[in-house]
Amino acid sequence: MQDDLIIKTTNLTKSYGPHVALNKLNLSVPKGATGLLGPNGAGKSTFLKTILGLIQTTEGEGTVLGLNIRTQGDEIRSRIGYMPEYDCLNPDMEAIHQVRYSGELLGMNPTIALARAHETLQYVGLGEQRYRNIGSYSTGMKQATKLACALIHDPELIIADEPSNGLDISARNYMIETLTHTVKTGNRSVLMASHLMDDVERVCENFILLHKGKLAAQGRIEDLKAFDREIEIHVWGGASRLEEAMIARGMGVRREGRVMRILHEQEDTTSMILQCAADVGAQIRRMHEYEASLEDLFLSIMENLGYEVKTSEDLLSSPAQARKVDAPGYMGGGSA
Amino acid sequence: MTTSENTPPMAAAITPQPVEYAAETPVTGKVRLEAAWGSTEGDEDFTTTASSAPKPDGQVFKPQYKQWNGQLNPRWMRNWAILRHHLLGIFKKGHRPWGMPIRLYLLVVFIASLTDVGLTLVSALIGDSGLHSIWGVSRDNLYGHVLGFFPRNMLYYPVIAALLVGGVISEDRQHGTSALYFSRPITRFDYVGMKFLSVALIQGLIILVSLSLYYFAEIAAMGRGWAWIIDTLPMFLATVFSAVLLIFTYTSIGLSLSSVSKGKFFPGIALLSIILGTKILAFIVSNLFDREILYLISPYDCLAHVGQAIIGTQPTYDQYSWTWSLASLVAMNALALYVLTTRVSSMEVTRE
Repeated sequence: MQDDLIIKTTNLTKSYGPHVALNKLNLSVPKGATGLLGPNGAGKSTFLKTILGLIQTTEGEGTVLGLNIRTQGDEIRSRIGYMPEYDCLNPDMEAIHQVRYSGELLGMNPTIALARAHETLQYVGLGEQRYRNIGSYSTGMKQATKLACALIHDPELIIADEPSNGLDISARNYMIETLTHTVKTGNRSVLMASHLMDDVERVCENFILLHKGKLAAQGRIEDLKAFDREIEIHVWGGASRLEEAMIARGMGVRREGRVMRILHEQEDTTSMILQCAADVGAQIRRMHEYEASLEDLFLSIMENLGYEVKTSEDLLSSPAQARKVDAPGYMGGGSA
Repeated sequence: MTTSENTPPMAAAITPQPVEYAAETPVTGKVRLEAAWGSTEGDEDFTTTASSAPKPDGQVFKPQYKQWNGQLNPRWMRNWAILRHHLLGIFKKGHRPWGMPIRLYLLVVFIASLTDVGLTLVSALIGDSGLHSIWGVSRDNLYGHVLGFFPRNMLYYPVIAALLVGGVISEDRQHGTSALYFSRPITRFDYVGMKFLSVALIQGLIILVSLSLYYFAEIAAMGRGWAWIIDTLPMFLATVFSAVLLIFTYTSIGLSLSSVSKGKFFPGIALLSIILGTKILAFIVSNLFDREILYLISPYDCLAHVGQAIIGTQPTYDQYSWTWSLASLVAMNALALYVLTTRVSSMEVTRE
């Protein structure tokens, strides 16, 4: 398991004067695709700069691909492909030469870099457009060019910072499919920082959630989603009576008008709902499994969960307690 | 082929329908299809074709991730890539896109810098000693080739420096291309060093190459021997040193201005203002108040003073020692390099 980790940090701390940007971060990122989530100011950019070996940590240790982030920054940057969030392309250059130059900056021979630039631009879908000036590209094409720059040396780890930012639906789909394809068929790892939860959900199996420089949660997306599984019912007549009956039976119910979501905690939850409906004479017009999206979970964690929650295992082991760990008092939490 | 034991049961169940072409026959797709594809010759023969699912490989536009197992070259190759990118951009496409006006101006200045070469050749050709005494190699002419104010240090070299440094670092801030450098194993020192060297080499290509051509044209055209070469080589080398000092100073001031900006215009105009503005200010103060001390804030005046001292021409800044000018030049370069390094250290990878 240890060998499968691409990033590992222990008590990683970075301070800018009195401001603590990263606070004792203990992370273990496995191979594959991982989403890096967090609101603005959570420390995502600082974390990325730290693992790129660009800034010195104040405290703690970390490795990327087995290389020390304190002392082996150059080697780390040789073995990863970084796709920045913001523009990083010269608009007066042709894409083919921009990608070739990005390969040369890694130490690739110019001829080989040019051959690889053709391959990577073909791969990201710009094969026919590669001799156009970047200034004439759409946002989607620029994002694809940035991805090609990151992929030119076939890195083991691709760090994609907001890869689908500002893209229309088709360009966004293409970017997500390309990243997924890179992970699945290329057998590469991706660390994807994004605000678009749908995209993270489509590409990644794992996630890291940062908040105020601390680790709020990490683990498998599937595990986290399983934790919040609910059954959604649409009720006609006697909705309030049904709600009361279900609460009386100890079921977790959330209601908005005629729509209710009941926590799917036991095998017989469905039959219990139907029994309650029969008892109070309410009609259930529709019933289906409701799977929370990552966005729902993200909002739920950020707004309700304690900031000291470490892993999704903590969330799964005792949801009621986990929700209260170190959450502020007004959210029903205890003391830190 | 006739219906035989090879025919599958499904095909055997199909019986050919007679196709009618009478006027009252309604035109339906079926009839038209049969008319198009059926014929009376061989329609009674049934064969079956079994279509298979298309193979996944070989589809057009299907992305295929290709791995690369090559070795990355060491640091010198990465630095060479930066240098090559900037230098080759002057001559060909695919590298740093220098603007056409810049390229044209470089060409014009290079040709204009060769005027003394041309006139030396002409004087040798026509055997005019008077013309040669004006344009041939001498202390004053070597000094004038590099440090003469008009036109070279008014219209040629500072303008070239301004055009070159304008976007070299500022464009990386403007377009965010600094992320492309610093997310690779490029150190800030290598980044600045190679950018500095690129700009300096392009200026050197004009100033030093034209100076060398001037010197060698004299040797070749006038048939100078070893005695003349040994006699004049020290002042030629002193001129080369002055040129290097001039290129270094213009480049360091220019790049520091480029590093604090996000556009090409400010660094270029600011460099010209510093070089020409301080010179004019010192000139005005000197004429109005008979005080020459202000030349110490003018990079050009300091360079000229130091150049006069080491080349050995008649000094025009005779109130103060040339070492004051040298100290001023050192201070100017130190300040410029300090600003440059500070600003480049603050360039971001994740956000600019």
